[in-house]
Amino acid sequence: MARSHTEVDMFKSLVRFKSAVLPGAFISLGLLVFAFLLFFTLYLSQDSQLFTQIDSRIYRLLNFTLYQAFLSTVLSLVVGVLLAWALAHQSHFRGRGLLVALFSSSLVLPTLIIVFGLIGIFGRSGYLNQVSIFLFDTSFGSYLYGLGGILLAHVYLNASFASRALLHSFESIPKEKYKLAKSLNFSVFERFLYVEYPALKSTFLSIGSTIFLLCFTSFAVVLLLGGSPSYNTLEVAIYEAVKLDFDIGMALKLALIQLSISAVLVVLSSSFRTGLTNLKTSHTLIPWKEPKLLQIIQWFIIGVFTLFFILPLVVIVVDGIGADFGRILGEALFIKSFITSISLATVSSILTVIIALLISNARRNFTLPTRLATKPFAKVVDAIIAFSGNLYLAIPSLVLGLGFFLMYQTYEGSEIVWSTAALLTANVLMSLPFALSVLTPAMHKTAQRYDKLAFSLGLTKIQRWFYVESPYIKSSLGYVFALAFCFSLGDLGIIALFGSDEFSTLPWYLYQLMGSYRTTDAAGVALVLLVLVLSVFIVLPRLFRSKIH
Amino acid sequence: MFSFIRILLLSILFSITALSSDTKSITLTIYTYDAFAASWGPAPKIKEAFEREHDCELKFVGLSSSIGALRKIQLEGKNTKADILLGLDTSIAQTANRTGLFTTHDLNTTKLDLPIAYFDENFVPFDYSYFAFVYDKNKLKDPPLSFEELAAMPEDFKIVIQDPRSSTAGLGLLLWVKEVYKEKAGSYWKKLSPHILTITKGWSEAYGLFLRGEADMVLSYTTSPAYHIIEEKKTNYKTAHFREGHYGQIEVAAVLKSSKHKELAKKFLAFMHTQTFADIIPTANWAYPVIKGTKLHEAFDTLHRPEKMMLMSGKTVETQRKAIVNEWLEAIQK
Repeated sequence: MARSHTEVDMFKSLVRFKSAVLPGAFISLGLLVFAFLLFFTLYLSQDSQLFTQIDSRIYRLLNFTLYQAFLSTVLSLVVGVLLAWALAHQSHFRGRGLLVALFSSSLVLPTLIIVFGLIGIFGRSGYLNQVSIFLFDTSFGSYLYGLGGILLAHVYLNASFASRALLHSFESIPKEKYKLAKSLNFSVFERFLYVEYPALKSTFLSIGSTIFLLCFTSFAVVLLLGGSPSYNTLEVAIYEAVKLDFDIGMALKLALIQLSISAVLVVLSSSFRTGLTNLKTSHTLIPWKEPKLLQIIQWFIIGVFTLFFILPLVVIVVDGIGADFGRILGEALFIKSFITSISLATVSSILTVIIALLISNARRNFTLPTRLATKPFAKVVDAIIAFSGNLYLAIPSLVLGLGFFLMYQTYEGSEIVWSTAALLTANVLMSLPFALSVLTPAMHKTAQRYDKLAFSLGLTKIQRWFYVESPYIKSSLGYVFALAFCFSLGDLGIIALFGSDEFSTLPWYLYQLMGSYRTTDAAGVALVLLVLVLSVFIVLPRLFRSKIH
Repeated sequence: MFSFIRILLLSILFSITALSSDTKSITLTIYTYDAFAASWGPAPKIKEAFEREHDCELKFVGLSSSIGALRKIQLEGKNTKADILLGLDTSIAQTANRTGLFTTHDLNTTKLDLPIAYFDENFVPFDYSYFAFVYDKNKLKDPPLSFEELAAMPEDFKIVIQDPRSSTAGLGLLLWVKEVYKEKAGSYWKKLSPHILTITKGWSEAYGLFLRGEADMVLSYTTSPAYHIIEEKKTNYKTAHFREGHYGQIEVAAVLKSSKHKELAKKFLAFMHTQTFADIIPTANWAYPVIKGTKLHEAFDTLHRPEKMMLMSGKTVETQRKAIVNEWLEAIQK
């Protein structure tokens, strides 16, 4: 009897939450079917031998890939926490908002541009070495190339993203808790351990796993700064299999290895979860200042990271400023690429926001004990939905492009339509993990806090959205929108297979310029791209905020 | 906000329809690498010249690399829109032949001005150059003049090279070293490896690093300095003249079996051996033309032009490439 009771109960709750679960679940299912189709198309078009020999080199690559991804993640998180902590406690200074927006923009800046910016500072003849030669008459040499360079670039690209998300968690800690901590005379460490860490934990894990997967599939950075084939990643092996040997069977096999590792990671990370009871509720200002020493440390951290983040960008500006902009901006191909890039970015960012909202709306049903989390299937469903959102991190972009290309061959259709579809899908998939890692905790928290109230008031979906979700997540939404827009603007993955003079994006145009000695023009276009991405990234979230108000 | 989105969507739709309704009697499509197809590359001039002589539209499609173009054709199979593949080099042409997608050119190529005889049933040469290390003479007074000297340079002397698994230039260097050192190539790479700053995916990144002063030398072509002299009026970029000789790169093109306009496509191959084409190549693709007596820009006189071109036969490359790459990987791993 007890059993039938739970079954009835389960059925009831399923019906109750179906409108919240279904759209997101449908999208997740669609994404998974898409992934399956992708691999299936690849499977059909390989010659015959699925079981190509995997040599010891692949194991070595895999080893190194995991090792550098682990180190990069740990470093990015440490840096991200320090930065977020410093910024959280220095909440009122001129230009803070701008600085925060700038920090988080490095994630969406085109990797190739950033790497060259980093080289301009930390490279063999970068400013750091030049200053050192000027002051001490010695150069640090070419320390940048190798594991150090990989880690540096990964921290640059990811720590800022981590700090943005963690800062959000810091800020959602009720100020009353700080008052309590103060009255209990907590030390900084105690305060961190008992007040701040619990609030960070869930963001920490979801951001950490995202960064890990991102570094795991990192390609351009590793290749350019790695310095030696012993510092290559699995992605390079896939590149080799596709590009040089045209061994689709091998590429498929490697992609499956990568997919299974990523799948394990995604599932593992979704099982780490802690209930969060904090919401940004009070606007109470904390009336006291941090102790002098702490303030100095916090300012030091902010100062150092500001330099670390801004200097490479300055290099790009300095390099680009001398370009002949009148001519560059007038080039027909530039204008065409510009229009294509902006249109694609607009559409894919709108799609990303919608899909991310639906998925996180579905997911929270399976993570809240008040909804379906206590049901036996909840964990599995949750992991599957989470995995579908992180698909991009699991599927190498080269394989994604290849799969799309083969589908285009199999299912015919206009080239432009297919190219557009491929780029849109890739862009949405690429932004989704980030969008979700920002929105999922936020959506989880609102439901946790307001579910009982909302249900007892019998709010409709729309009312609930306007009174409960929207006020809390609107700033995240603007951020996600800008993130997806800029990601799409800077991507140089799939376009390499689909690009031509008729279908070109800005990064592809930039890469073409680099490939034909036109370094000055390339530097100019890089600057245009940088300015574009930065202004969108900084302006868009603000616009969004005032729109909803 | 929404009206803005609507306008954007509409404009996308319009641009799609505008692009797809392109009309002209016959279109001859050529797949090539991006730098060749670019608006500043040789493609626009060649298009103009060829269309003046033939009633057709010449369309260049630039891919990320020539190997990329070949892969795209392989993926597209019989449905490919390409009539011609242009830009592979002789090392990889054999691989392309094995796909069985290309047809014979029926041209007499014996009169071409090549430093080394080359004949293939399907692929015809249209330009060539030599691999060489480029350096900045303002920064490097005594460049190494042989592979031995290169490996014996001081510890902090660094070069950038390209990965042979993704770049034809990188593969060229590998074959160059193999030709010079034969079975000792592996141990030479071991000696050289401390001097390798980094290995890039393609030529662009490597050359970019060099121009930023990250490395003392970069693997490029003997004709690279011509670009700096003619376009940028800079004479400080030179190539190191290696005693062992220089490995070459002959670029080739072929017609696809699946092409619907084979006759016209073959006419284009023949057009590549006219003076008009030969005059465009040197200052647009920065390589030597294959027609005897072509007058080159005076900047080319200042270039080092090796007497002899080293080149492995396509067959040898095809059978040994994997082994050579593995030998290199083993030697260079840290």
